[in-house]
Amino acid sequence: MTEPALKQLPLLAVRPPSMKTTCHSAGAGLGAGEDAPVVALVGSPNTGKSTLFNALTGSRVTMGNWPGTTVEVSRGVWRTTRTAASCTCQECDCEPGEGRVDITLVDLPGAYSLVPDSPDEALTRELLVDAPVDERPDVSILLVDASRLSHSLYLASQVRERPLRVVLALTMLDVAAKRGVELDLSALSAAVGCPVVGIDPRRRAGLDELAAAVRDLVAEPVPQPRPHPEGITDSLAIDDERFGWVSAAVEAATLDHGSQQASLSDRVDRWATAPIVGPLLFLAVMWAVFQVTTSVAAPFQDALDGFFSGPLSAAAGALFAAVGLGGSWVEGLVVDGLIAGVGMLLTFVPLMALMFVLLALLEDSGYLARAAVVTDRLMRAIGLPGRAFLPLLVGYGCNVPAISATRILPSARQRILTSLLVPFTSCTARLTVFVMLGAAFFGPQAGTVVFAMYVASIVIIVGVGLLLRGTLWKGEVVEPLVIDLPAYQMPTVRLTASVTWVRLKGFLQTASGIIVVTVCAVWLLQSVPARGDAGFGEVAVQDSVYSVAAQAIAPVFAPAGFGTWETTSTLVVGFVAKEAVISSWAQTFAVDEPGDSASPGTLGDRVRADFTESSGGHPLPAAIAFMVFLLAYTPCVATLAAQQREIGTKWTVFGVALQLVVAWSLAVVIFQVGRLFW
Amino acid sequence: MSGPLSVVLEQVEAGISSIAEMSRRTGVAPDVLRASLDHLVRTGRIATQSLAIGCPPAGCGGCAVKGCGSGESSRTNLTLLSRRRAS
Repeated sequence: MTEPALKQLPLLAVRPPSMKTTCHSAGAGLGAGEDAPVVALVGSPNTGKSTLFNALTGSRVTMGNWPGTTVEVSRGVWRTTRTAASCTCQECDCEPGEGRVDITLVDLPGAYSLVPDSPDEALTRELLVDAPVDERPDVSILLVDASRLSHSLYLASQVRERPLRVVLALTMLDVAAKRGVELDLSALSAAVGCPVVGIDPRRRAGLDELAAAVRDLVAEPVPQPRPHPEGITDSLAIDDERFGWVSAAVEAATLDHGSQQASLSDRVDRWATAPIVGPLLFLAVMWAVFQVTTSVAAPFQDALDGFFSGPLSAAAGALFAAVGLGGSWVEGLVVDGLIAGVGMLLTFVPLMALMFVLLALLEDSGYLARAAVVTDRLMRAIGLPGRAFLPLLVGYGCNVPAISATRILPSARQRILTSLLVPFTSCTARLTVFVMLGAAFFGPQAGTVVFAMYVASIVIIVGVGLLLRGTLWKGEVVEPLVIDLPAYQMPTVRLTASVTWVRLKGFLQTASGIIVVTVCAVWLLQSVPARGDAGFGEVAVQDSVYSVAAQAIAPVFAPAGFGTWETTSTLVVGFVAKEAVISSWAQTFAVDEPGDSASPGTLGDRVRADFTESSGGHPLPAAIAFMVFLLAYTPCVATLAAQQREIGTKWTVFGVALQLVVAWSLAVVIFQVGRLFW
Repeated sequence: MSGPLSVVLEQVEAGISSIAEMSRRTGVAPDVLRASLDHLVRTGRIATQSLAIGCPPAGCGGCAVKGCGSGESSRTNLTLLSRRRAS
């Protein structure tokens, strides 16, 4: 503190007090002038310091920047009046209301620590510690947030290392009580070595007791600082000792148990993040989500499917016939293409809405965040970088932002490794195909089948991750991390509805755009003849460019049980975007059986018949093999673009090859083994 | 000497992923561990990084669920902490 500063604003320059502990003597002749004791309010921001200052001083306040700084310091007069509760006279016959002690109260800037990290903290330290002894405050009231006792007591540990008169004023006791924390103020006082008073400045509770404690303390000699271990120079070791002192004080002062007795979040997390139970619980929750989604949405889906493939298609056909365009390419494009393709997408609206609602509930409640701990542990168990859990989790929504999320990984090699694993996460676009095939082949067990695909996704990630780590990524160091989880909370209707609507709208906008484009492209390719004499738009679909190209690829998938051109072509379309797989199927079968619109049957029936034929009578293993192939091969061109941007062309091509090899190998193994049993 | 700060750093090194788990393993109160962790972050010994589950706020421009990470869904964001090595 500089000399001019003291002259301009002598906030703390006081003489040693000459008061005795009687009301009369304490009050006699004291105003908030030169003789008045000076009391400083010290504490971290948000501990109620300013509220207390206002409650104690009322309008008797001056404010201004401390000279030479931009830090504002408030000073006021604290008029303490003796009351029956606050009278601490040893030999006293005074009446209530007699004897007034005016105190100069100084509101020091908020500080977390006496090792300054800001101008505020520097000034607090300067006035409290570095100033000459006779210029320091007579008493310091250290405000401590009872609901965050450990945080606040760190500053107390530093203050108690100094020869200062200190009173601890505990605020937020009501908040602590709501959290189940009950404190023994006497025990806390004994542990920290100074008086402790519980106050509530907003309700003016405990202020008389605080005044009494301060007035008592002013008359006492300056206490001995708390013993501090000698010979420690390392700052971490010094702070470690302080937090050890804090821990001991918290333990001594905590009666119940709110802090030791776990909060509701901690109690739930004891199970939700446990090494064995946590993953099992997470899998059970996700199974329930898929089961509820598929079973509840199924009737709505069937009704919509019946509407689009039945009355709507028939009405559109009749309309085209009425205007003389019956059987034309325009009718083919609209009825077999747009209505079949977009209509099929719309049948998934109830399902997607329900699933988005359930996932939003899980997310808003905080449970979904627990998946991070479970996944992180899995990552570390197999030696992959723990941080990789985040992009992989994001990948279950969409692979494109998941690739971008690999930027959180510290090393380029880890980013490449994780980017190669992301495409194996099952994004929501694949979900529609899983649901359709699950319902077509497994009926009421569709939810379990979808869930199994997510488990298969995890297994593939672990397997490929281990394979890469054991070969190309040998010697990678796994960096430790801590995840600070948010507390559980009650989901809100507004937020859940908002998140669901945003996601559903996004899904429909993007998917419908993709589908309209691919429907037009598929229609065009199905209209162009590759063999025979038919002209454009008149060619049988088997002779179209679309079909002939797919027929050339189809034999590759014969060992996996789905080697027909109708199914193979959807995989080619799915390379562009998985949203278009079902629409292209619907379009192909609608064109394939154009006269069937009056009694169309379901798409699932037609796909099942196709698989039965291609698999030689083993449709179930063929369907599972197809779903696993769909899960493991390249998600979409947008993901490839993101990969190319993040890890370069070489690794992107390597990734595509890896995905195709893994997908085809798994599909063949599943079908060949499965056909032995089904 | 092994105070709460050392305990936290040891647990971070050991890969313990949450305050609750640290408390279960060490017997130190969660409030003390949380304060210790905050202090280590404040003094630069541990780095923090906010992690959002979901898509970026502006969407990715090419996916079926764009915009899903926007708005108030960030209520459940995670904070990732990692130990800083002395340079």
